[in-house]
Amino acid sequence: MSTLRVSNDEQALTPRRAYSSRPLSTTQVVRWIISCVIILALVLFILGPLVILFLWAFADAWFYPALLPHTWTFSWWQQILLNGDIGHSILLSFIFAPVVTLVSAAICLPAAYAFARFKFPGQRAFMVSLFATNAFPKMGLYIVMAGLLYTFGLMDTFWGVVLVQLLNTVVVMTWIPSAAFAAVPRELEDAARDAGAGLWTTFWRVTLPLARSGIMVALILSFLASLDEAQGTFLVGSPDYITMPTQMYTLVTSYPQQAAAVFSIVLSIPSFVLLLLVRKYILGGTLAAGFRLR
Amino acid sequence: MRKSNVIAMLVALIPIVFIAIFVGIPILMAIAFSLGYTGGPNTTVALLDQNLQVTQSGPIFSVYSHLISDLSFQKDFWSTIWVTALSVVLVLLIGWGLALYMRFTRGWLVNIVSSLYIVPLFIPVVIASYALVTFWNTNGFMSALIENVLHLHFAGIGYTSFGVVVGQVWTNIPFAVLMLASGLQAVPDPLIEAARDTGASQLTILRRIIVPLNTLPTMIVGTFTGIGVLGSFTVPDLMGPTAPTMLGVSMSRYYQSFNEPQLSTAVAVIVFLLAAGLGALYVWANIRSNRKAGATQ
Repeated sequence: MSTLRVSNDEQALTPRRAYSSRPLSTTQVVRWIISCVIILALVLFILGPLVILFLWAFADAWFYPALLPHTWTFSWWQQILLNGDIGHSILLSFIFAPVVTLVSAAICLPAAYAFARFKFPGQRAFMVSLFATNAFPKMGLYIVMAGLLYTFGLMDTFWGVVLVQLLNTVVVMTWIPSAAFAAVPRELEDAARDAGAGLWTTFWRVTLPLARSGIMVALILSFLASLDEAQGTFLVGSPDYITMPTQMYTLVTSYPQQAAAVFSIVLSIPSFVLLLLVRKYILGGTLAAGFRLR
Repeated sequence: MRKSNVIAMLVALIPIVFIAIFVGIPILMAIAFSLGYTGGPNTTVALLDQNLQVTQSGPIFSVYSHLISDLSFQKDFWSTIWVTALSVVLVLLIGWGLALYMRFTRGWLVNIVSSLYIVPLFIPVVIASYALVTFWNTNGFMSALIENVLHLHFAGIGYTSFGVVVGQVWTNIPFAVLMLASGLQAVPDPLIEAARDTGASQLTILRRIIVPLNTLPTMIVGTFTGIGVLGSFTVPDLMGPTAPTMLGVSMSRYYQSFNEPQLSTAVAVIVFLLAAGLGALYVWANIRSNRKAGATQ
């Protein structure tokens, strides 16, 4: 536990002065070096693979044990971006993701509010039962679901794919907003009601804005769950509905490394941008709150 | 029950009913199918099977006995167990380390750590697995780095079960650290200072105050990571060895490559039983912690 250090309030308020006014002791220097080494290892472990993949997207020739490509090229970008199939799969992904997110919100958000604000028998059991989607392995689920989808005539259809992708969003779309609604102080709602606001106005002007961060996080996580889903989409949607991640499997197995690297960057951009938008809420504990049962 | 509560219950039931129809019923169908009930909604899937076991009356266990006596299934099973166990342990260790570091240290290094650990959440799993296997492969960047800096030969861990563990740790770190960090944030500073004033060492504070107050987040991280790893497909498929593989991959092979959906669903049921055990642990930990919180109020 070399990194565990409990600082008092004074140090917390004025860290810079506290450090510079005293000469550093040997143990402090050792600690600092140890934490630097650990952080460097962490940087290598987490960012290393991503940086290397990024470099591959511009590599022409790159042989072991060189640490950088020998020659560089942009030609893989042309090959990927001008490929009709791939363009189609990008478009398709961006049609599915908003549809899945909206349907999921319509099904789950009212329920999330009900779970947070009302008391009814079997409440916790219902909340936990949503968990079944996480506990049963997806592959097994999709295989027998295929039987159901054939019966309903949903195989290889738009709504069949939406359905499969929805399954991955229900838990986050219910649990996280429910925790956010529950965290809105009841006194604020009561005060609004006392001041003459109706039920609807109270919800719209008080509850919803206060629960906004939780709802935003849930919406974006659902959007990304849809954007990243490959297995179910492949089983239900092929051959007509090939989305980006499904396409990625083909690229990984049957194209040169550079093609997959370029496509990886294209596929990561939406995730990256969207998660940056809600980063501060996620770091602030909104996601964590959703996974504690009440 | 008041009228508004009845309405609330009905609204709350919408996602529940959705899950019941599209997950609950398929789970029951899968269990029935693996026990030899091949009629009804399972008829279509049964048509694909090369080696269908059909019951005459009552459930039959021949699918399971076939699996259990199959050497390749046994290897896959134990590989799945140890990959899951090792991944959970490593995720908890790294998660606790990073969460403690961020809770009790200040300065620019902490800012780096807190923007770093969240990165894997931003990357789709398919891409993460691909990036990781490229990085850790024989002749990958890690081998090259070790060759250049230390002049040692490193064969890489791509396409090995340990590579799968590395992939699982990479993808599960953000959730673990988020949960544990938010748990540690809830430990009040005055409590820790009071303990220090009475002469408690850092180790004692950790063991007697911080750890006991964070059993729930730890349990949540452990069970969720375990469940995720048990049923995972993408990471072991892209990073793992051909054999033994994790059960998520073998169930897809039984279905897509060997045309034996019945074996595939039986594997799924086995994984489900393991995951349900972890799920029960998760619910129990939550209930116990709620009861404790209720008792102190």
